[in-house]
Parts: sequence; C-alpha cells; structure tokens
Amino acid sequence: MSARAAPPGEPRRVAYLYLLPGLAVFAVFVLAPLLHTGWLALFEWDGVTAGEWVGLDNFTALVTEPELRTAFWHALVLLVFYSLLPVAIGLLLAAAMARTRVRGLAAFRTILFLPQVIALVVVAVMWRMIYAPEGGLINEGLRAIGLGGLAQNWLGDFTLALPAVGLIATWVMYGLAMVLFTAGVQKIPPSLYDAARVDGAGPVREFFAVTLPGLRGEIAVALTLTTIVALRNFDLVYITTGGGPGDATSVPAVEVYERAFQSGRVGGAAAVGVCLAAVIFALSFAINRFADRGLR
Amino acid sequence: MIARREQQLTYLLLGVFSLIALVPIVGIVVTALQARGGAASFGAPDGFELANFATAWDDGNFADYLRSSAIVTVSVVAASTLLSILAGYAFGMMRFRGSSGLFYLMLLGLMVPLEATIVPLYYDLRDLSLTDTYWALILPQVGSSVAFGTFWMRAFFRSVPRSLIEAARLDGSSSWTTLWRVVLPLGRPAVLTMIALIFMWTWNEFLLALVMVSDEGLRTAPLGLAFFQGRNTTDYALLAAGAVIVATPVVVLYVFLQRHFIRGMLAGAVKG
Amino acid sequence: MAGVAFDRVDKRFGAVEAVRELTLEIADGDFMVLVGPSGSGKTTALRMLAGLEAVTAGTIAIGDRVVNDVSPRERDIAMVFQDYALYPQMTVRDNFAFGLRRRKVARDEIERRVRRAAGALELGGLLDRRPRELSGGQQQRVALGRALVREPQVFLMDEPLSNLDAKLRVQTRGEIRRLQQEIRTTTVYVTHDQVEAMTMGDRIAVMNHGRLEQVGTPEELYERPANLFVAGFIGSPSMSLVPLARLALELPAAPADAVVGVRPEHARLWDGSDGLLGPLEGEVAYVEALGRETFLGVDSGADARFVVSVAGRASAQPGERVRFGLAPGGLLLFDGDSGRALGALAGARWG
Repeated sequence: MSARAAPPGEPRRVAYLYLLPGLAVFAVFVLAPLLHTGWLALFEWDGVTAGEWVGLDNFTALVTEPELRTAFWHALVLLVFYSLLPVAIGLLLAAAMARTRVRGLAAFRTILFLPQVIALVVVAVMWRMIYAPEGGLINEGLRAIGLGGLAQNWLGDFTLALPAVGLIATWVMYGLAMVLFTAGVQKIPPSLYDAARVDGAGPVREFFAVTLPGLRGEIAVALTLTTIVALRNFDLVYITTGGGPGDATSVPAVEVYERAFQSGRVGGAAAVGVCLAAVIFALSFAINRFADRGLR
Repeated sequence: MIARREQQLTYLLLGVFSLIALVPIVGIVVTALQARGGAASFGAPDGFELANFATAWDDGNFADYLRSSAIVTVSVVAASTLLSILAGYAFGMMRFRGSSGLFYLMLLGLMVPLEATIVPLYYDLRDLSLTDTYWALILPQVGSSVAFGTFWMRAFFRSVPRSLIEAARLDGSSSWTTLWRVVLPLGRPAVLTMIALIFMWTWNEFLLALVMVSDEGLRTAPLGLAFFQGRNTTDYALLAAGAVIVATPVVVLYVFLQRHFIRGMLAGAVKG
Repeated sequence: MAGVAFDRVDKRFGAVEAVRELTLEIADGDFMVLVGPSGSGKTTALRMLAGLEAVTAGTIAIGDRVVNDVSPRERDIAMVFQDYALYPQMTVRDNFAFGLRRRKVARDEIERRVRRAAGALELGGLLDRRPRELSGGQQQRVALGRALVREPQVFLMDEPLSNLDAKLRVQTRGEIRRLQQEIRTTTVYVTHDQVEAMTMGDRIAVMNHGRLEQVGTPEELYERPANLFVAGFIGSPSMSLVPLARLALELPAAPADAVVGVRPEHARLWDGSDGLLGPLEGEVAYVEALGRETFLGVDSGADARFVVSVAGRASAQPGERVRFGLAPGGLLLFDGDSGRALGALAGARWG
C-alpha cells in the first residue's frame, strides 16, 4: 500500500496516536528486554556485584559446556514429543477422517482441546501424581492387573524421566493437532479424492497425494505452535522433575532460571535465552518457508 | 464398504484419544474428592467429600492466590484489549508511513519467549523497586498480549469492507467514532476470542510470577500451587483439590466460550 | 444545488494512469451518467469527486469551490455505494440518522427528514429493522434514503443497481430517475451498462481507458458518435463496423482505411426497393429471435459482419445465404486509423 498523496480527510498521522500506547508497552516490556538480554549475555555477572566483560564467551559455552549441550539435546528430544508425535497422531486421524462425515465432532473437539487450556503447573501436578511410584495411577494400575514388576519410578529414573516428561507434553499437545487437522481435512474438496480413486490410488497413496498436501498449511501452523511451546517448557519440567534426577531432564528454559536466579551466572543465562529466541525464530521461519514453497 | 470401515476407524481414534485426554482430568477431580489420608492413590474413588476444597481454600491460602490471579488477569485483559483494539485499528485501517515495518516488529515480538526477556526484566524491575508488586506481573504480560492482540484485531479490521468505512467518512464520522460506533460492533466474536485467549495465557502464567514475586501475599494461583505441592507431596487429595481450584476458572471460561477458544487457536498464525 | 466541474483531472496509481486529462462540466440539476467498460476510470473519477481518492493533477470544483483538498465530509455530497455499505448493526432509522447526527442537525429536523425519505422510498414500516433483515431491493432503497436525508448539493451513485436482479433493476431505474427529476439535485451516476445510461441520463459521458471519449445527450451519442469506440459501445445490438474496403461502395474523399458504421435498424433484407444501397450478400452466422424483431448476424466476407434487423420472425437459418441492403441515411464514416468520426456518408454510390 503505497502512501503517496492521501485523499483529504483520510486518517494518516492520527494513526500514530492510536498506536502509541500499545506500541509503548510492547517496546518497553518486550523489545527492550530482548535487546538487553543480548547485552547481558556479553558479561559475567552474579546479579549483585559489578559484572565483567567476557565478549562471546557465554555463547561459545553454549556448545562447549557439557551441561548446556545436554540441556539443548534434551530440548531436541522433547521436540519430538511436543511436536512430531502430536502431529503424527493428528495426521493419523486426518487420514482416517478424510472422506467420512463425523457426527458430534464438536463434542470430541471440546474434549480433545481441553488439555490445552489447563495451566501447565496443574498438568505437571496431575501427572506427577499419575507417575508416582506409590499410589500413582500407572503403577497402581499395573499392580492391579498383575504386572507390578513393570512398575517404575518413572520420573525418578535416569533413563525414563525424559520420555516420561515427553509423554506428558504429547498428552497436552495432540489435541491441538487433532483439532487443527480435522478442520483442515474437511476443507479438502472431495473431488480430489475421487480423482485419485479413479487413478487407482489406494488409501496410502491417497493420503500422500491428497490429504498431506491439502493439510500443508495446518501442518505448518501445528509445527510452529508446538515448537514454540516445546522450547518454552519451563513450567512442565520445573514442576515435575526440576531438571532431575541429576540432569536427566535438564532443559534450556530451566537452565536460564537456574543460572540467572540461583547460581549467579546471569550472563550465561542471558546467552541461553538469546539462543532459545534465535532457535524459535529460525524454526518458525524455516517451517513457514517450507510450507509456502509447497503451496506454490 | 471401505467408507464404513474408515468411519469406524475415525470414531475409534476420536474415542480413544478423547478418553486419554479425559482420564487424567477426571482422575484429579475424583482424587480431590477423596477422604484425606485415606488409601491415598490417584483416581481411586474412596469417599466423596468436599472438605479438601475448603481446606485448600483456607489453610492452603488458595483464596488469596485466586484473588491475586484475578487482579492480575483482569488488569492484563482489560489493558491489552483496549490497546490492541486501538493499535489493530491503526494497522488494519489506516495507511501511514512505517506501517509495515512496525507491524513486522510486533509480529516478531509474538515469537519472543519469556525465557529470553525474563532476566533483564527482573533485574531492571528490581532496580526500580517494582518487583514484588502487581505491576511486575501486569506490565510485561500486557506487552506480550498486545503483540498478539494487535495482530488479531488487525486481521479483523482488514476484513471489514472498505465501502463501510468510506460511507462513514462521507457521513462525517471521525476515525474514533467510526471505530467505536461503526466497526467494532461487528467484531464481537473477534474481541471475545482475544479476551478468552489472553485470559487463559495470563491466568496460567507461572515463570513470571515465580521470578517476580517472593511475597506470599502476592502469589498468583499457579505459583501458589507450586508451593502447595512442595508442602503436600504425599497428600494427594489435598493437592488435587488445590490443582482443581487453580484450573477451574479457565476451564469454566473454556466451556462457555469453547467456540471462541478453538477458533482463536485455529486461526492459523496465532504465533507465527 | 451546485454544478460540478472536472478540469484536466489526472489520476495515477503508481505507474498506472487511471484517469487522463478529464475535463467535464456538469450543470446544476443535471443527471450525468459516466459510462464505460471496467477499467475506464469512471469509478475513479467518481471517487475523486467524493474525496475518497486524491487528485494527481487538475482541479475538481463543486459549485465555485475547488475541492481538491476538502475532506469528503465538508464537500456536502452524498454517495450510494455499489454494495450499499449500510451500517449492519444499526436500524434503518439509525442508518439514516447517523450522518445527520454527526453534523449536529437538530433532532426534530432529523426526524422530519427521516420520515420524508422513508415515505418517498416506501420504507415506512421498516425503519426499525436491521439491514440483514431486508431484501436486496429494500437494502438498495435504504442506501438511497441515506443519501437523500443528507440533502446534499450533489448525489454520487456508484453502480447502485448492479446487485439487483434484472426486473428490479429496470423498476428501480425508473424510480431513481423520477426522484431526481423531483428534487433536481445534481447527480453523477456511474454504470457499465449502456442501456442504463441511455435511459437515465440527461447527459452521458463515455469513458474508455481513462479518457473521456464523448459527452452529450443520449440522442447525440446515438446519432452522432464521435469515434469508433462510442459507436460500438452505445446501442444494442451494437453498430456494425466494417472497413470501407470490403464494400463495393464508391466514396470520393474517403481515406483508404475508412470504416463504415451502420446500425442494425438501417440494414434490412433485400426486397428490391430502391431505398436501400446494395444488394450485399452474405452467410447467416447467427439468428437472434426476440419475438418483436429478429437480428441476423451476416458475414459478407472476412471482417465484414453486419447485423441485419428483420421485423417479426425471420425464416433464415444459420448457414443460409441472404441478400440485404443498407439505408443510405444511416451510414456513418470513421477514420480507420484514429477512429474519429468523419460524418454521415454523402454522395455515396453503389459501384
């Protein structure tokens, strides 16, 4: 929209007045801190005494320090649980639903979406009780059917803790993917499926040739939303395991908190924060680029 | 017929996954209703009493936690809604220099995680002696909610037919009058959705409260629950009651506005 | 009450010239129709008059006031939009009153005007309804009413009838015309439908590609089109335009690439009478039987299609060969290069 000569009486400069309050709060409490984080990352600071310039050391630590490498690795693993698994489940439903009329879809949608609206702290408390070694739903359930031998200390086991937390994330997110994809799949014109049928395509072929491309937009949205949530997983990890046992479930978000507010490594925390933001930007950009390219 | 098998499979999938979604939630409600100190286990019905809720409310201070959350959430929702309507109106309906640039900036802001801004936010607010006040919780959340709200309202304003605005302009309506009398009345669904989403995100916010608030009197509900868990790790019934109390307001809002919630999340690029 | 004057008005959108050098005078009280195909610039011209688009060059005056920099609100105009643009959440009454309230018109005056407009447009019982409860025709009248109550100096109408079905369109056309003749407010009316233009306008301005092709009364445009475009645009079915070279007509002083124009009513089947020039021969390409008369599309060679009119029913079938003649008084000559009219044929002899 080129704004050369404005017709008389069209609001132009007054626009800035409308923008000002919102933009101001946004700039002061979101943009400025973002820039400030970048600045803080260049120092080593304990939050109390004066800080010391260290240049890019905090950033190199992101790849050299084993603790941080582990945390980011865990983030990647959790990405599978937050993002890929829910999307897969959603696609499964979409594939089945492709040409069927479902009655009562609204009711299902309401239930499936419910985990999304519950505070993650509540979700974490809920699942801690489910995973509890004594009295938890899973272990008591296993014992009740005679499989007591399989009962574990799910959240306290060094190898099982991360997947256990991951499954909680999947539980929270799959409803989003399912709701997104069921809406999307209903928008695919049935004639496309008919054409594929006539061409002799079986259900698998139909899925890849019609359903998947048709859902490209929705998949991009699902991936973007779930990825952002995945990288911001502070609440869930902090309440369920606190990053433990040991560092079995350490994640960058918890590292930021721990370093900035508990161990006096503010600069390091800032660097991790910057990295998280950068990864989110990059992934969102990449996902949407990929989706756009496909749509063309 | 293939179609029927597909239909059965669909219902099966829908049913199974709905069940999986419901079980933990139903379980925690049931747990909250158990007698305290009984054969404590999750989800095993053992009595039916509401006493746990009362205990959590009083001894557990959840009354205070809810009050704090209410103050913060209502303030954030009110301020963000107003500011977003104004800014969205400007972006959506007016042509001015720098509009694309400023808008992309806000779009970027949508994706900025709190984890990236919490550190300087804390230390700066501490220097201003604003930590441990409601301001520390309200202002940052207004900032990020306005990024979303502006994006959302702009989309709505852009969907309004230009001719309606032109007719109003010819009728002598100023931009302010046009906004409140002509255009916004058409946007009830959009505004409701925005309110619902901002309410949910604000109510459920945990990290910000954890960092900013140390005074017990200011704890918001999620923060309160975290501390409550620390004190009652084995008393499942009581803990469950606290959790249910914290989750209920948003769930109730969801039940009444579910269409809006879902529409909001579905409307594509909610956060990018 | 005021006239409107466009003086060498240009409008450019970036590199695109939407309106070029438009100079047009509209007398006070006139009903002027701007007509042309899409992209002709007619709507842009109207919007510039309304103040919804800025003028790139030239001046627009309402009365004796140049209004280039005057906001729409101050121009004392009212506009009827193609999609009506009714305020959806307001009642019909409030739709009427909105503009008047913005101008601080007295409450009883508003009441009076609303009642009068509602009466004139037969909307009396619908004043408390909302637009979505009304039919398309009723909505259209509300749009008209909203403009009426403003009692402006100029009415602007942007294809207000194009969303109505054909029968309603014809009916409403008449009503608008009648209304305008009663209140005699200057009206500028945009349409792409030349039949609408011909039946409604006191004067018509034909536009094409941003340029004003011709302005005049309907008769002037029909009888004496200024160029090939107007000749082909006005009239239904269109005038037959055939290069002179294709006809065995001897014409002194005519340029070699001249084009002959003849309206269907001046081309008739050959009956031997000496009123007609001819005979010409051709193959029937199509038959348009309208009951009262029939139009035959006859190809008399490449690039030489004539539309021939026959009273009542014609027995000719596509593929048949027929003979027809042209009434000499109805022939017009155009320059093949510039398209300019060269006048009626004089001294034409069939050679």
